[in-house]
Amino acid sequence: MRNPVNIIAKQKRFGVLLYDRQLQVIDIDAIAKQLLASTELKPHGSVTDLLPELVGAEDQMVRLVDKQEDFYRLDHLNRHDAKGEVRYLNLLTLPCVDSHQAMILLEDVTQDARILQAANQQRYDEYLYRASIEHRRHQIGSSILGRSAAIERVIDTIQKLSHISSATVLLMGETGTGKNLAARMIHESSMTAEAPFVEINCAALPEQLIEAELFGYEKGAFTHAVDAKPGLFEAAHGGTLFLDEIGELPLGMQAKLLSVIESKSLRRLGSTRSRQIDVRIIAATNRDLQAEVAAKSFREDLLYRLNVVTITLPPLRELGDDVVLIAQRFVELYNVQFNKKVKGFSPEARRALLAHNWPGNVRELSNCIERAMIFISGNEIDRQDLILSLPATDNERGAASRWTVPPTGIELEAVEQSLILSALERAQGNKSEAARLLGLTRHTLRYRMEKHGIE
Amino acid sequence: MAIIKRKICLLGTFAVGKTSLAQRFVNDQFSDKYLTTVGISVSQKLMPPIQGEPSDGPIQHALLIWDIAGLEKFDPVVMNYFRGASGALAVGDVTRGETAVELKTICDKFLSVNPEAVLVTIGNKIDLAPDGGEAVSDLQQLASDYGSELILTSAKSGQRVTEAFRLLSEKIAWRHA
Repeated sequence: MRNPVNIIAKQKRFGVLLYDRQLQVIDIDAIAKQLLASTELKPHGSVTDLLPELVGAEDQMVRLVDKQEDFYRLDHLNRHDAKGEVRYLNLLTLPCVDSHQAMILLEDVTQDARILQAANQQRYDEYLYRASIEHRRHQIGSSILGRSAAIERVIDTIQKLSHISSATVLLMGETGTGKNLAARMIHESSMTAEAPFVEINCAALPEQLIEAELFGYEKGAFTHAVDAKPGLFEAAHGGTLFLDEIGELPLGMQAKLLSVIESKSLRRLGSTRSRQIDVRIIAATNRDLQAEVAAKSFREDLLYRLNVVTITLPPLRELGDDVVLIAQRFVELYNVQFNKKVKGFSPEARRALLAHNWPGNVRELSNCIERAMIFISGNEIDRQDLILSLPATDNERGAASRWTVPPTGIELEAVEQSLILSALERAQGNKSEAARLLGLTRHTLRYRMEKHGIE
Repeated sequence: MAIIKRKICLLGTFAVGKTSLAQRFVNDQFSDKYLTTVGISVSQKLMPPIQGEPSDGPIQHALLIWDIAGLEKFDPVVMNYFRGASGALAVGDVTRGETAVELKTICDKFLSVNPEAVLVTIGNKIDLAPDGGEAVSDLQQLASDYGSELILTSAKSGQRVTEAFRLLSEKIAWRHA
């Protein structure tokens, strides 16, 4: 009966190569020749010439001939074929039972290796994408920048809060001033790395869904509740719940939120069981909540509960030279993102940055620099690279209020619809911002959108 | 003059630029496209002669460069990748701090198999962080722990790549003198 290893090798189409104690190739079969096609075969050549992967393992190769070792294995040797494509070989060396030689078995595992390669590639690409863009974006953009007194006050307060992980914080400031960033900084500086940071924009959810989202629900609590679901409060247990645009929360929900904050417990929709929660609340708004209280659209008791610590983020126009500092940080950020090497701004561009009033604050500045970085080909941003929104001058504001009806007349409803669409477009779909542009409350805007059938 | 074959390994976690360093050194080529390595790819390069001990005369190394896939486990087969190496370039990515931490684990495993091997530490991708990246201080510490040098390289531009391989070749020659 033939050696079973040879039978297996033949059946499985393994290449076979025999060598002796001097590491000289004694025999090589057709499959092994084919698998090692790119390597020059010399008569009585060394096995390490044929398989340079064995350099450094010569002692083990000899011990295998002497039957002092059981096997030696290397997986996924990369070899280029005649077309230059990588083929993958597994190598297993075994002692020959009936001779003073050892046997190398070579298996072509290219198909499996390519699947493994594709899986690794996808995994690593995703990781690298996050590492190179998001991580660096986070690194670059994860701190509030500035040397002005206003910014230093903000940073000082955040640093003081880093020792207290329970105090409720109210962040005030115009849209685009970095309230979200401040919330993250407060969370990261005062919580452990594992503590969750859960964020919800109170203006983004329909009124009827907010309660289910915040407090969760039990199976069967309402028609579509086919499974129980924990709410955002539970998701944030042990960490921070960031309630952005708290001024948009409907009055009914404000009462429930106050109850949860005071009792530190909640009941899911459809449940009678009370659950304890340990969550720090950070709320943010661009509204004047005192005025909202006076207008009876925000609960006074909730306001007092929220503003244990209040931080007001200053608008960009009040930060003086910090504008250039922040703009420079965005240049670094977009250099990474767009693989560019822009160094900074020309003197004219600096002057333009300082002269602009930045109604959209840091968000507007970021967009402005991003736009410039996309199109720039040199290594310095010049004045003409910056597309700055035209400030609404007193004249323009006055003109808007002095519109007159033409002799042919107008359709007031159509004009209103057109203005709402225009505001939504300018605010990039952000209803709160669109409402601000129109001088309406968000609720009024929503009512008028429904009236005109605007989605 | 004697030509001595020496096996050296490129060590490091995934995507630190091991394949690119080998490609730059052996073929003077660079590709921006990242293709993850599976298993091992061995390439060879004949080094310039090195003056050994005066009594021995100059020697010349043929370096067998083992480009090893970024490893996540260290089973016996993986340890075979390391076996018999005279030295290694320990490669970190200066822009990714975690690569220095993972590199230490890999180096410890490598030296457990080859206690006599010499190391040269590489901080690669310095072109992406000309003023130094977040991993540089950790790589400096790692180099110091292993009694090796830290060389900041760019496989993309070729900056200090040849120097790193030459230094390793010289250290191997001195170790075996």
